[in-house]
Amino acid sequence: MYDVIIVGAGCVGCATARELSKYQLKVLVLEKGHDLCSGASKANTGMIHAGYDPTPDTNKAKFNAPGSRMMFEACTELDVPFGKTGLMIFATEESGMAEIDKLVEYAQKNQVRVEVVKPPKLYEMQPNMGKDVKEVLWVPDGGYTNPFSVTFAFAENAHKNGVEFKVDSQVTEILPIDGDGKNGYCVIAREGATEDQKEEVTYQARMVVNAAGLHSDTINNMVSNHKFKIIPRFGAHVILDRKQSYKLTTSLMETPHDLPGGGHTKGQAIIPSTGGTMLLGCDAREVMDPDTTEWERPSAMQIINYFKNIWHTLPLGADGSEFPMDEIIAVFGGCRPHPDGDDFVIGEPDDAPNFVNAGGTESPAFTASPAIAEYVANICIDRLQPAKNENFDPYRKKKGVFREMTDEEKAAAIAEDPDYAKIVCRCEMVTEAEIRDAIRRPLGARDLAGVKLRTRAGMGRCQGGFCSSRVLEILAEELGIDPLEVTQCGGASRVLASRCGMTEEEVQS
Amino acid sequence: MRKIDLVIIGGGAAGMSAAVAAKEEGCNNLLIIERNDSLGGVLHQCIHNGFGLHRFGEDLTGVEFAWRYEELVEGYQIPYMLNTFVIDISPDKIVTCVSPVEGLIKIQAQAIILAMGCRERSRNALLIPGTRGAGIMTAGTAQKYLNLMGYLPGKNVVILGSGDIGLIMARQFVMEGVKVSAVVEVMPYSGGLPRNMKQCIEDFDIPVYYSSTVSKICGRERVSSVWVSKVNENREPIEGTEFEIPCDTLMISAGLIPENELTDGAGIAMSPMTKGAVVYENNETSIEGIFSCGNVLHVHDLVDFVSEEGAQTGKYAYEYINSVNTTTEYIEEDDIKVEKGPGASAIVPQRIHRNTSMDNITFMFRPSFKKNDVTLCLSSGEKILVQKKMIAVTPGEMCKLVLPKEKLAEVKESVSISIHVNEKEA
Repeated sequence: MYDVIIVGAGCVGCATARELSKYQLKVLVLEKGHDLCSGASKANTGMIHAGYDPTPDTNKAKFNAPGSRMMFEACTELDVPFGKTGLMIFATEESGMAEIDKLVEYAQKNQVRVEVVKPPKLYEMQPNMGKDVKEVLWVPDGGYTNPFSVTFAFAENAHKNGVEFKVDSQVTEILPIDGDGKNGYCVIAREGATEDQKEEVTYQARMVVNAAGLHSDTINNMVSNHKFKIIPRFGAHVILDRKQSYKLTTSLMETPHDLPGGGHTKGQAIIPSTGGTMLLGCDAREVMDPDTTEWERPSAMQIINYFKNIWHTLPLGADGSEFPMDEIIAVFGGCRPHPDGDDFVIGEPDDAPNFVNAGGTESPAFTASPAIAEYVANICIDRLQPAKNENFDPYRKKKGVFREMTDEEKAAAIAEDPDYAKIVCRCEMVTEAEIRDAIRRPLGARDLAGVKLRTRAGMGRCQGGFCSSRVLEILAEELGIDPLEVTQCGGASRVLASRCGMTEEEVQS
Repeated sequence: MRKIDLVIIGGGAAGMSAAVAAKEEGCNNLLIIERNDSLGGVLHQCIHNGFGLHRFGEDLTGVEFAWRYEELVEGYQIPYMLNTFVIDISPDKIVTCVSPVEGLIKIQAQAIILAMGCRERSRNALLIPGTRGAGIMTAGTAQKYLNLMGYLPGKNVVILGSGDIGLIMARQFVMEGVKVSAVVEVMPYSGGLPRNMKQCIEDFDIPVYYSSTVSKICGRERVSSVWVSKVNENREPIEGTEFEIPCDTLMISAGLIPENELTDGAGIAMSPMTKGAVVYENNETSIEGIFSCGNVLHVHDLVDFVSEEGAQTGKYAYEYINSVNTTTEYIEEDDIKVEKGPGASAIVPQRIHRNTSMDNITFMFRPSFKKNDVTLCLSSGEKILVQKKMIAVTPGEMCKLVLPKEKLAEVKESVSISIHVNEKEA
């Protein structure tokens, strides 16, 4: 019997696992995807929100600001890159200035530092900000990190400290033992990488944590009559290559405002990323399928056209340059788990003892995840009264990242491991040493997407054109499988169909 | 630090031909740096024929074409480093590279030739929406799976782009037992050579959809179908014209982009038209002593033209090395600028030294349309200096104009290249 089963291995689930690994508890994380970080966390931008904007006295407000402080600490402990560059919300119209007044009021209530900056001081802070900017709200405590790296780091560190993880494990039923949950729950999951391998597995746990993100309503509604509903809200982001990212020293976001031609824009942002690229977006539309990552052309074009229009207002276009269409690397999208109550659903429902929700985790849940995790873990610890894990190691060290090294460090890394001189992904300069490490390390990559999220191989401007075939060979070698078995993203996503040199009938069979 | 007269970055068609030519001119202190485990570059995965007709007067496969040059490199004992990846070029011509054997090395070059080739345009750069499962790849990746690794990437392919690489891969798929359900081309005509349209597409009855694009990719884990739509004049899909084609693979062959990250890093001026370096008539970039040639300078139609340009550049680079102490001073203000007139695009070179030592200046450029009966024009101000009639032009085939040196005196501060459609006489 497990002490705690966590449903969902996104940032909230993995952060909770790490919190619980500080105690002598038997903890299992079940993830329905083929890899950790395969739901909303994967589609996140990595922006660390300071917490100025959630409506005061909500769960969002309660967990955001402490979460942001804890996120910067966690990144330091777990060897995850981050930038504490702040955020500027700029207004080009009167209505935007009114919006800023409201945000100032919220920030004060949420106890988050903000400052309204007007010209000429604005131009001391951001010399290249466009002249049509009337004022900005400067939020010094914001920043950015990498949502995949954070989630993997939480998980790897939890695993190092004793937590078990299972992927391809979809929870289908949660049944209270002895009629209510006082003695724990039976958790029934369908497990297996492909449809024909799926089998039903039953676990028992004294407590269950619902960190199922986009499916947190389904999990909650299995055990509690305090039902809620997740409305999947799809958003797309456009990624720009790093050529001009030196001009972006902070995240920039325009206040929401009405458009001259009718309609209303939600604040679009341009955000630096730890890989040096820039993320633009995003939009929001409600969809039926919470697991969809399928973006549509109109939403990508809307983001692109928005930035084309305001490019001159941003420091990026201040030199008169046009929006760089050629530097678009990719568009990605995914759903946010928007709860019908518009707030995180956190805590133990009164009709389901020992079942703890950490659901409804739309923005700013990524930033808030360490604080949510601490709160949820504390409920478990109060209940289970475990002893401390004296061997808990808060640190996690990842193999050095070649592109971030100085020439001296590069030389030393190659001397120690010649695979560091084999550049597999040219665009992101990812070496064979890093790729092998991403596969070998605990909870390592098992498919092309897993390698990409852990190392950036294939994330650059050629989108895997040069490196994917080599990464496939390395995966086959490291996993000891036939290249034909290597998948893009688990399940039925095999990259290759068959060997060459067969008859048409054999190929088509 | 090692000192080398001429460092050539890239050991493909451009790099090898540059090295061979420089050696033939007398350059003895040179080095080719190649990132792969053999010379030849992308030619190694090109097992189809059609190479070498201009250069060797023979119909060779890409692999054979590469061997010819590899033999020359070996015969001349031109030094090369394999598995060596250049990570930086500084403006003062220090080349930093890494190799598993030698570690991190810095080389001070007197001259550098950039010959890094190009990459393919991805599904993402084309903004094709939809799912992101297995089965979406560029032609180069598909070619690598088939020809270098021995695997088929799918059973039923839709090909986006009717350039030569797309057409040749279509034929190869059919021969391997793979179904090719469609070739989709955004232009109203094929981007490939007529012979490839005939031999690779028509002979196998493969359906071709012109003025169309893939407007959506379906299938969560693996591609299950694509949507094909007609495009408007901006080459954007027209809503309502889409139809679905079942397939398990989408192969994209929709253009090549010179791979100029090192060039950019060195601070060399770039051309937004060619996506390559801005070069003078001797293929020298904005940094003195750094030259560029082959597909990293501008995308070529035929490897024969790449090796021709490489050979010339090898010669120019050696001339530069030899003339360092006696050099004629070029005055930048006197440079002749090359401007693009109607109908012409992606012109190379973009600048000419007023007091160039070259006898003829060759301009390569692409038509921006497909038309019959046209005249290529090179003019300065109002005055037409060179004209050439063509039966037909198409963006898929590069055009060439030569400006003889004696006409250079008539050039004012700039020349302009344009293509005029000849009016039919009534």
